[in-house]
Amino acid sequence: MSEDDRADRIEGLAIRGLRLARGERAVLRDVSFDAPKGTVTALVGPSGIGKSTLLRCLNRLLVPDAGTVLLDGEDTAALDPCALRRRAGLVGQTPTMLPGSVRENLAYGLDPAVAADEPRLTRALADAGLDAGFLDRPASELSGGERARVALARALTREPELLLLDEPTAALDALTARHIGGTLTALAGAGLGVVLATHDLAFAAEIADRVVALRDGVVTVGSPAELLPDRFPPGDDRPTASGASPEARA
Amino acid sequence: MSQPLTQILASTAFALAAALLAYRQRLNLSRSLLIAAARAAVQLALVGALIALVFRVPALAIAFVAVMVATASLTAGSRIRALPGARRIAIAAIALPALAAVGVLLAVGAFAATPRATIPTAGILIGGAMLSTTLTGRRLVEGLADGIDEIEARLALGDRARDALAPLCRRAIAGALVPLIDQTRSAGLVTLPGTFVGLVLGGASPATAARVQLTVLLTLLLVQLLSALLTAELVTRAATLPGERVLVTSHEGRRLR
Repeated sequence: MSEDDRADRIEGLAIRGLRLARGERAVLRDVSFDAPKGTVTALVGPSGIGKSTLLRCLNRLLVPDAGTVLLDGEDTAALDPCALRRRAGLVGQTPTMLPGSVRENLAYGLDPAVAADEPRLTRALADAGLDAGFLDRPASELSGGERARVALARALTREPELLLLDEPTAALDALTARHIGGTLTALAGAGLGVVLATHDLAFAAEIADRVVALRDGVVTVGSPAELLPDRFPPGDDRPTASGASPEARA
Repeated sequence: MSQPLTQILASTAFALAAALLAYRQRLNLSRSLLIAAARAAVQLALVGALIALVFRVPALAIAFVAVMVATASLTAGSRIRALPGARRIAIAAIALPALAAVGVLLAVGAFAATPRATIPTAGILIGGAMLSTTLTGRRLVEGLADGIDEIEARLALGDRARDALAPLCRRAIAGALVPLIDQTRSAGLVTLPGTFVGLVLGGASPATAARVQLTVLLTLLLVQLLSALLTAELVTRAATLPGERVLVTSHEGRRLR
């Protein structure tokens, strides 16, 4: 089966030959990997290497110079961008609160019937590690960590098929990060595709099914045990996700 | 000493005092203040001479108004040059509302269709439209540079680019109209507006001066609102990229992503 045929059959994201330059600098050079639904994919690499850029190509907030991003086998370039972004919820590195209460943030842009679905809002908050008491608090008064969790809850309220997270633990304490990690693992277990960009290798090792390491514009794809061996003690019997991944590129 | 000479000396002394005060306070404004004062003196002297000519040759009034529009558009356009097509945006946002309002005022007979009435009226309305365009445009440029996280958060939640920009546009328009609203509601109490002062100094009765001033002020409300709305609409179009994306620029217009 050819690479293209395989990409067409993937439930979730299949990224093929992505290229993007900023002026003279090639940020992404021939990036290919899969991020299937039901798994957690961690994009790792040093700060400024292009993880956020890559993440934003996945929901077409950025348009790559070349290459394709397939979602359930469909080229995302052919989809309505707004519909794509509702299916692939992105939580940015800076958790930006919109004016109003937490409730208004969660309900933003939703159908009024959905926005009035209180259990749905509180469930999203709980998944993000916040209790229902936050619903009517002004979003502008939240701390950085609370904002990060509300931004995650806001994406979850839309019940997306994919969750794209940029440094989701950056503003969180260790305990909350562990809670969020548990939520993401559970959501992936329920069929959601999770792609997160992080420089927190311990977090990536703990929750990711596969790791995409970005360096010099190309990616290496493998299991956490393969690509983050320092994070696994000798004799750790955690199963490796895929062995040598076919889309791995050195 | 004659009154004209006293006026020139007194006003020059005030401008120099402003420059000196700015220098003493290390505001780095002295040069700008002096250049602005000198420009105003030269421009007004030239305009005085030119208007005298226009009053004798009425056909020149059209050219005179065109120059006012062009100058206002250059000024406002330079303030929003971070955006593509800044000058075209400024020309449309200034000329359309201001000239349409002048046309209506002349057509209904609110002012006589003479250079003496048309030029000052057009000047005030074009100036108001320029102010509104500049203020709205500057706030939009700053919002596109500083508020991009909020805009992108809205895009990421599935908004169309136009919808994601709408809150920024509304804030920019509301902010741009604050000076005019304040000026209008305090007219006669806090300040005596320029038209009123000019007419009274020129010998008109206070009642006539007040009536003309009110006509201009109330016309400005619509002209400036239309200018702000047009600016926001044209900036929204200029900042919207294919694929429901938004142009991200620095304050200086450098495209960031």
